[in-house]
Amino acid sequence: MTTAVGIRPTSMHVFCAVLLVAILARPLLVDALSVPVLQTAATVFVAVCVQALPFLVLGVLLSGAIAAFVSPAVLRRVLPARPEAAVPVAGAAGLVLPGCECASVPVARRLMGQGVPDAVALAFLLAAPAVNPVVLVATAVAFPGEPRMVLARAVASLATACVTGWLWQRFGRAEWIARRAAPPHAGGGRWAVLAETARHDLVSAGGFLVVGAAAAAALSVLVPPEWTEALAGQLVLAVLVMAVLAVVLALCSEADAFVAASLTMLPLLPRLVFLVVGPAVDVKLIALQAGTFGRAFAARFAPLTFAVAVCCAVGAGLVLL
Amino acid sequence: MRRDTQHALLVLLGAALLRIAADDTYLRYVRPSHRWLLLAAGAVIVVLAVVGLVRDRAGPPAHEHGHTPWLLLAPVLVIALVAPPALGADAVSRAGAGNPVVQDADVFDPLPPGAPQLPVAEFVQRAVWDTGGSLHGREVVLTGFVVRRGAATELARMTIACCAADARPHRVRLVGDVADPAPDTWLQVRGVLQEGSATSVTGHVPALTVAEATVVPAPPDPYEY
Repeated sequence: MTTAVGIRPTSMHVFCAVLLVAILARPLLVDALSVPVLQTAATVFVAVCVQALPFLVLGVLLSGAIAAFVSPAVLRRVLPARPEAAVPVAGAAGLVLPGCECASVPVARRLMGQGVPDAVALAFLLAAPAVNPVVLVATAVAFPGEPRMVLARAVASLATACVTGWLWQRFGRAEWIARRAAPPHAGGGRWAVLAETARHDLVSAGGFLVVGAAAAAALSVLVPPEWTEALAGQLVLAVLVMAVLAVVLALCSEADAFVAASLTMLPLLPRLVFLVVGPAVDVKLIALQAGTFGRAFAARFAPLTFAVAVCCAVGAGLVLL
Repeated sequence: MRRDTQHALLVLLGAALLRIAADDTYLRYVRPSHRWLLLAAGAVIVVLAVVGLVRDRAGPPAHEHGHTPWLLLAPVLVIALVAPPALGADAVSRAGAGNPVVQDADVFDPLPPGAPQLPVAEFVQRAVWDTGGSLHGREVVLTGFVVRRGAATELARMTIACCAADARPHRVRLVGDVADPAPDTWLQVRGVLQEGSATSVTGHVPALTVAEATVVPAPPDPYEY
């Protein structure tokens, strides 16, 4: 009903206005994106979004299914009671989720919501995108004749998940995770719980995925290729630069092995670091985690994971490669 | 953002995924096997939004806090209004000077008779690694887009593993009369490898003596896999 005060604009009005303006301003937008560098960035932006969204959808559906069908009691029975023992179990469970890293974030959050200790859910979060069969097979295909690379990647990634989980168990504080999964709304049956949980998780995580995709697109045109070309023969510098590159490029864990394989001017160790750091922490994941768990969490978890992943990769590489 | 706005946004997002998977547009961004993933994800997103709409009809429009869902509008608008093209010459020139040379094999199967059509990546592989000389003296046909590097004209093709974010270019230097095509023009060239041209000195970029170059329309499938 319209009153004397006038209509208070709702988000729906704003939404329609934005759409209208965007459609009217289309020639300007097309013009702006015809500059080659912006065109390249726009293509990478859409590519990362389009590539990651199906995996995010898989993740929110799993999250919804856990909320609807897996009670906290069942999870308590399945997992060892002591978190120290449950961390490696959760890491090994990552073997069965054949997806990219975007799928595991909503699932880990839902596991926390269902009473799984934070450290255990985080071990799952780190292991799932790195040690699943699809990723390991892709690594074997990308490095023909280097089977030790597959083993080293699996060992280093699993170690990263477990060590980070144990460190979080020992030093982590519950209040750092500001955003918790809301308990599923009662009423309407289990399928309704699944649909509403999945919808809610998708809306809240999707926006952050877009932030991550935009960051990855911008960095992909801003990072000069000389970064990798100047590294031949400088092992320590190569390890550090490849770790940073893994963070800024935000490649899907199923594809990063092919990029690492193409950097033939580098020895295997820095490339292993690239493969271990990438699925554990990158700009897309940091954005997604900040949105899912809160900024205080991401500000601590990202540097921790980065340091642990670099150490585990170097350790595994020195022993196995 | 109100819940009904979220539902509308999700419908648009799902529709955008379905739209690019309906024809060849998605091939600019991801590999062909990704199509069914996009169709499934698009359908699930639309269904989740419709279920939300139907279930909310009973109550008043509820408000959920946070402005981040608005960001989902960005990919929708970029896809619907611009649909950026596949990576081309600009991306190649950002990827460094040399070809990525991962050794698959050192002996390759002999080429089929005639002037076979080869993927650019396979041509580079054979030119760099083949000790059996399968390319020596053989005419081959390559399809790719034009990249200018100083005075040199190169034919390039991107190889992707998953999506355009992990694209790596494979390049071949064109020698001979290729006119003066603009960057990003798609060419089909017939020619013979200059033996010993794909060394570390040239960044493993082989040279091709061109017998014939034809401008062709961009293929629906711009990448190699």
